[in-house]
Amino acid sequence: MFGLIGHSTSFKDARIKAMELGFDHIAEGDLDVWCSAPPQLVEHVQIVSPSGKSIEGAYIDSCFVPEMLGRFKTARRKVLNAMELAQKKGINITALGGFTSIIFENFNLLQHKQIRNTTLEWERFTTGNTHTAWVICRQLEINAPSIGIDPKQAKVAVVGATGDIGSAVCRWLSKRTGVAELFLVARQKQPLLDLQKELGGGQILGLDEALASADVVVWVASMPRTLEIDSSKLRNPCLMIDGGYPKNLDGKVSGKGVHVLKGGIVEFFNDIGWSMMELAAMEKPQRQMFACFAEAMLLEFENCHTNFSWGRNNITLEKMDFIGKASVRNGFSTLNLNKVFQVAAA
Amino acid sequence: MPTLESPEVALLDRSDSAVEALPDFTSESYKDSYSRINAIVIEGEKEAHDNYMAIGTLIPEEADELKKLARMEMKHMKGFTACGKNLAVTPDMPFAKEFFSPLHNNFQEALAQGNLTTCFLIQAILIEAFAISAYNVYIRVADPFAKKITEGVVQDEYLHLNYGQEWLKANLQSCKEELIKANKVNLPIIRSMLDQVASDAAALHMDKEELMEEFMIAYQDSLNEMGLDNREIARMALAAVV
Repeated sequence: MFGLIGHSTSFKDARIKAMELGFDHIAEGDLDVWCSAPPQLVEHVQIVSPSGKSIEGAYIDSCFVPEMLGRFKTARRKVLNAMELAQKKGINITALGGFTSIIFENFNLLQHKQIRNTTLEWERFTTGNTHTAWVICRQLEINAPSIGIDPKQAKVAVVGATGDIGSAVCRWLSKRTGVAELFLVARQKQPLLDLQKELGGGQILGLDEALASADVVVWVASMPRTLEIDSSKLRNPCLMIDGGYPKNLDGKVSGKGVHVLKGGIVEFFNDIGWSMMELAAMEKPQRQMFACFAEAMLLEFENCHTNFSWGRNNITLEKMDFIGKASVRNGFSTLNLNKVFQVAAA
Repeated sequence: MPTLESPEVALLDRSDSAVEALPDFTSESYKDSYSRINAIVIEGEKEAHDNYMAIGTLIPEEADELKKLARMEMKHMKGFTACGKNLAVTPDMPFAKEFFSPLHNNFQEALAQGNLTTCFLIQAILIEAFAISAYNVYIRVADPFAKKITEGVVQDEYLHLNYGQEWLKANLQSCKEELIKANKVNLPIIRSMLDQVASDAAALHMDKEELMEEFMIAYQDSLNEMGLDNREIARMALAAVV
């Protein structure tokens, strides 16, 4: 069985969803009630691959909402309690979705292995970042040509280059796609220098400079709310892949020749009888989902019960190859600009 | 994957060392609050002992097993009494007796009427889940002596919760109506007990929010194990909120 740990995009949405699901005691409560609410296993789902292999899964809502980000201990408890629930339910491999994996990493939750009478087994969990990184790279390779950009001639900026997903994207774009120029943008200098050394190339640039020169911009950083992008300074055409969380780039850029694509989103070849992706405002909630969630499904389809994506900067090209092949084989394709879904054959 | 200067992300970068500091176990304010919390725990274990013995009179075939549970509760009571002595604190027993009196009275009334389901709900589900939640939170902020004792106790309490849960599960069809009714009366009492103890618990670095969450997890797990579905559990849990 695979598991997905998710959460609502806002407190308001969370209350509406809870009411629909019949969790009136939580739905009617204020934020304090939600801070005390246990995680809920809200949905069971069955998925059949193109080859006819059937797997079962469960969706766990951690009862975390982004409004809790300022409450350090609350946010930590929400993630750990949801993970404990997944393990208690005997789920083999569970993906940490949305803010869950960010909280896990930034709060260093690895040091909290004992949750009540449960010892968390890390091999049962994955951040799903390998699949997300692979999907973002394929989105670039498939969609750039459709707006007249040749990936091999392109200047590509990766914003958030030194993170887990960002560094994997840089590796792939430099070794596999073979982009013409790679601009590395991130907050801290030393990790940037380390990445540049590892890649044997790439130019470290500030955000404004990178945006002005790039044909393709891959965002894998959470977007500061206050950040403003001057669309007139972007190149025409320009492909912007919004691979961060939450996805809010389309509200910040618009203009002639600027194409914004939601990054790290995949579509399954068939409808899935679930309701949870409506929460994530997917255009086709019966088929579309975050690639990190799909990674848990892929690992279950492939009987690969291990923490495939774990820790920081452990994503190798070989792992991306493995998950990419599994993705195609099991009926997933990438979300593309023209809304025509193509098989993302690598 | 946060980078750049995001305010949301900056909050995520906080170190947890300052937040996690243990309280000063020797301060007067700590000892003052501990005198009430320690008394509640001692009284709670005594209540549990008496309740299991009493339940044994309603189901004689289970009396031996229930005596075993009762004996464990007595052992816990002694352990917690030692925790108070270790910090040179005198437990405020009159306060604790008063604290437990609403649940105590409801249990006695159910016992007198032979309402076994209500007895099990009060003792084996609500009181045990309350104890487990408090002990789980306390372990994280307890002095080393009390921490060790509480860690031993909490394992036993899960067994007790399990005992009541198994009985209710086996009899769910016949006892569901009474279970829901008794829950509606007694769950709000647990909520009010948590409210009453919140400021003393805070002095021991135990958050009310965390206590409530731990309780709801144990309570929800238990009802789930009994065979109630999500919607039924949600309806029952509503009594804790309104």
